[in-house]
Amino acid sequence: MNIADHDGIKETLRRYILSSVSLTHLDDDANLFESGIANSLFAVQLMTFVEKAFAIEVASEDLDIENFKSLNATAAFVLHKNTGRSV
Amino acid sequence: MRQSLTGQQRDKLEEFQAFVAAEVAPYAGWWDRDQAIPGSVIAKLAGAGYLGCSLPRDYGGRGWDSVTFGLLHEAMGKGSPALTGVLTVQAMVSMALLKWGTPAQKRAWLPALAKGELIGAFALTEPETGSALQSVTTEFTRRSDVLVLNGTKKWISCAQFAGVFLVFGKLGQCPVACLVPRETPGVQVEPISDLMGFRAAGLAQIRFQDVALPESSLVGKPGFALSHVAAVGLHHGRISTACSALGLLRGCFEESVTHAATRKIGERTVGAAGMIRSLLARMGTDLEAAALLCHGACRAEDEHLPEAFEKALIAKYFASRAAVHAASDTVQVRGASGCHASSAASRYYRDAKILEIIEGTTQVHEDLLGKLFVDRAGPLELPIPFKATTHDRHPAATRRYAS
Repeated sequence: MNIADHDGIKETLRRYILSSVSLTHLDDDANLFESGIANSLFAVQLMTFVEKAFAIEVASEDLDIENFKSLNATAAFVLHKNTGRSV
Repeated sequence: MRQSLTGQQRDKLEEFQAFVAAEVAPYAGWWDRDQAIPGSVIAKLAGAGYLGCSLPRDYGGRGWDSVTFGLLHEAMGKGSPALTGVLTVQAMVSMALLKWGTPAQKRAWLPALAKGELIGAFALTEPETGSALQSVTTEFTRRSDVLVLNGTKKWISCAQFAGVFLVFGKLGQCPVACLVPRETPGVQVEPISDLMGFRAAGLAQIRFQDVALPESSLVGKPGFALSHVAAVGLHHGRISTACSALGLLRGCFEESVTHAATRKIGERTVGAAGMIRSLLARMGTDLEAAALLCHGACRAEDEHLPEAFEKALIAKYFASRAAVHAASDTVQVRGASGCHASSAASRYYRDAKILEIIEGTTQVHEDLLGKLFVDRAGPLELPIPFKATTHDRHPAATRRYAS
């Protein structure tokens, strides 16, 4: 996967989340926290998936709900960590 | 499980077993009776590098993988489950700090934790909240340029001798975690004695009264203390506790089969009795299963897999319950001799129950795992012949989430 591909990152994340919770569909901007999808256990699992799948490290300064609130937000965060680019 | 170890991991296991045989097992009963682990023993753990074994070499740790970390706890768990409490909370504080500490915090604290010059304690549980993490009442407030801490933590392992506490509380409505040196004015440590098990693990209650701390003491951003800082600490604590329970289970099994094979009642050995064989069959099978679960959790952690969290929960849940059963059955197999303090069985019996409670009770694990399994089951499909109306349809059958 081309790491600079925002959509590719998003689809990788979507596949992981849909394989982890009983959803058939997840919108790009659906809020993972307000919906209850990201409970405390899933929040750290998702963070670890992001670190492993995209070879980045989530550090203390990255702990911001805005970085992980949705598929679009998480993909933008990953892209920014890898390339310094914003979407 | 042993077959899948690398040569280096097997060598370390032999080292751990030799350490336990020489420095731990002969004295564990005394520590239990004295309700204390001598400082010289903590110094030996530190000297061997065991207290900082998982921390990177850059900070003075040993940089061991999780499988080796698990083998250490298994070996120690067989010798003295209470002693593993020191290793467990040291790992919980160290690994939470390694993950979420600022560069300055890591430089300031990790080298001393790695060398074992400093012992950490994980101050999460409160007298009234128990396992309800969201209900912590310990309070941080901002006063001019400092944070002021007030509250009480209870049942904190190693707090009797720890030099720094990782304290969880709330700043306004935000969960926060904060490093609190023991010598800070307003910190009062009150030892808790006469526990049923883990009697040597140095538990204490800690009162914080108007404890002033610099803002730079916060670990992780406000709001993420429970979901991320505590979660990482508890995750390592669960791996540690699972492997300690595995060691206790192995100790029970070895003591039981040895007794069953050698102790004669009349002309027959104890192990000739079918009822005893039933107990041993369950114990040996649980031992094998627990070993596989613990090893799987450690491997998943080494591979940095998201499912490592779930595997640690499963391993801790299974191994701690199996340890409780095994300890009870070991006392049963030993008979009256297993009820006396001179037998490791009686200590295992009391310590095993503690392993089922620390780092999340069995019931907390059931709640987390049960939800996880249901969530993953996927959308329900309705039976074909049944034509559902909107009213009949189970919500999960069409569960979608849209923004």
